[in-house]
Amino acid sequence: MIFSLFNQMAAESGPSIHVAPDAVFRIGDIGITNSILYGWIVSAVIIALLIWAARRITVKPRRGPLQLVEVGVDFISNLVVNAFEDKKVGRKYVPYFVTLFFFILLNTWFGLLPVVGEGFKSGETPLFRPFTGDLNSTFAMAIITMIVVYVASVKESGGIRKYIRHFFVGSPKNPLYFVIGLLEMFTDLTRVISLALRLFLNVAIGEMVIAVFAYLGSFAAPVTALPFMLIEFGVGALQSYIFVILGIMYLAIAVNHSQAHDAEHADHEDLTEDARPETIGASSAQSTRG
Amino acid sequence: MNFAEAIDLTIVGKGLMVGLGFIGPAIGIGLIGGSYLKAVGRNPEAAKFFGQALVFVAIVELFGLLAFASTFIVK
Repeated sequence: MIFSLFNQMAAESGPSIHVAPDAVFRIGDIGITNSILYGWIVSAVIIALLIWAARRITVKPRRGPLQLVEVGVDFISNLVVNAFEDKKVGRKYVPYFVTLFFFILLNTWFGLLPVVGEGFKSGETPLFRPFTGDLNSTFAMAIITMIVVYVASVKESGGIRKYIRHFFVGSPKNPLYFVIGLLEMFTDLTRVISLALRLFLNVAIGEMVIAVFAYLGSFAAPVTALPFMLIEFGVGALQSYIFVILGIMYLAIAVNHSQAHDAEHADHEDLTEDARPETIGASSAQSTRG
Repeated sequence: MNFAEAIDLTIVGKGLMVGLGFIGPAIGIGLIGGSYLKAVGRNPEAAKFFGQALVFVAIVELFGLLAFASTFIVK
C-alpha cells in the first residue's frame, strides 16, 4: 500500500503491490510479519477503547463519543438476537459477534492510515500492513468463526448425530437425499474458504487500487488516491457487516432448524417422513433494520 | 519470428480471465440494484431490506474477486 504522505515519489518503476506479507522480525523460529505486528497494535487499541467505553456506559445514554460504540454494539446485538427464534439462545452469542465486528472494522479502517505502507520501512519491507489484508489472518478468523458455529450448532442440536441428521432432508437411506446431504456438508466446508477469501480480496484489492492511483498521480498522490480511500472506508464497513451477518446466518440455520425439527418430531423419530426442506426464510430477513 | 513465440500467452490468459471474469458480477450487481429499486418503487416499506440487498451484492462480488485471485494461481 503506497499511499504515504511522507514519501510521494515512492515508486520508481511501478506501483508497489504486496500480496503476501513479509517478515519484519523473528521471535525464535517464527517470523512476525508486518500484518501480525499491526494486528497486535490495533488489538491493543481496541481493547483499551472498549474497556474504557465499558467503564463509562450508563443506563441512560448521555451525549458524547461513547454513542458510536453504543450504536455499533446495539446494531449487531439486534441482528444476533432477532436471527434466532428463541431470544435466550441469541443472547449467548452476542459477545462473539460484536467483538468480531469491531475487530474487522477497526483493523480495516486502521489499514488506511498514511502510516501503513511504503512510508515506514524496516529494511526494505513495509513496517505495517492491515491485518485483514492478509490471507493468513482472514483464514484464521474464518476458521475460528466456523468452529464457533459448529460447536454451537452441535450443542444446540443436542449431539453430533442429530446435527448430521439435519443435513438430510427426509431419509438418509434414499440415495438422492443421501447425495444431497453430502453436498450440503461440502457446502458447509466451502463456507470457510468463501468467508476468508471475500474479506481478504476486498481489502487487498482496495489496497492495490489505492496503490495504482497513487502511482499514477506521482506528485499529487494524496489528491488522486483520496476518493478511493473514502471508498475503502465504506468497503471496510460493508465487509465487516457481511462477515458477521453470514456467521450469524450459518449459526441461525443450524439452530433454528434443530428447534423446528424438535417441535415436529417430539413424539416419534420418523425417519422416513417426506419433510419439506427448510430454507433461511423470514427469520433472517427480519433481522435487518433500515 | 514465429508468431506463437512472440506472444506471452500466460499474460494474455490472465488478462482474459480477469476481464471476462468481472462481466458476470457486474451484471449480477446491476440486477440486484434494479430489483431493489423496483421493489422500493412499488412499496416504499421495502427500504428496510437494504441490508439484505448489500449482503447479496457481497456474495455475488466474491466470484468476481475469485477471478482476480486465480491470476496468482496460474503460472
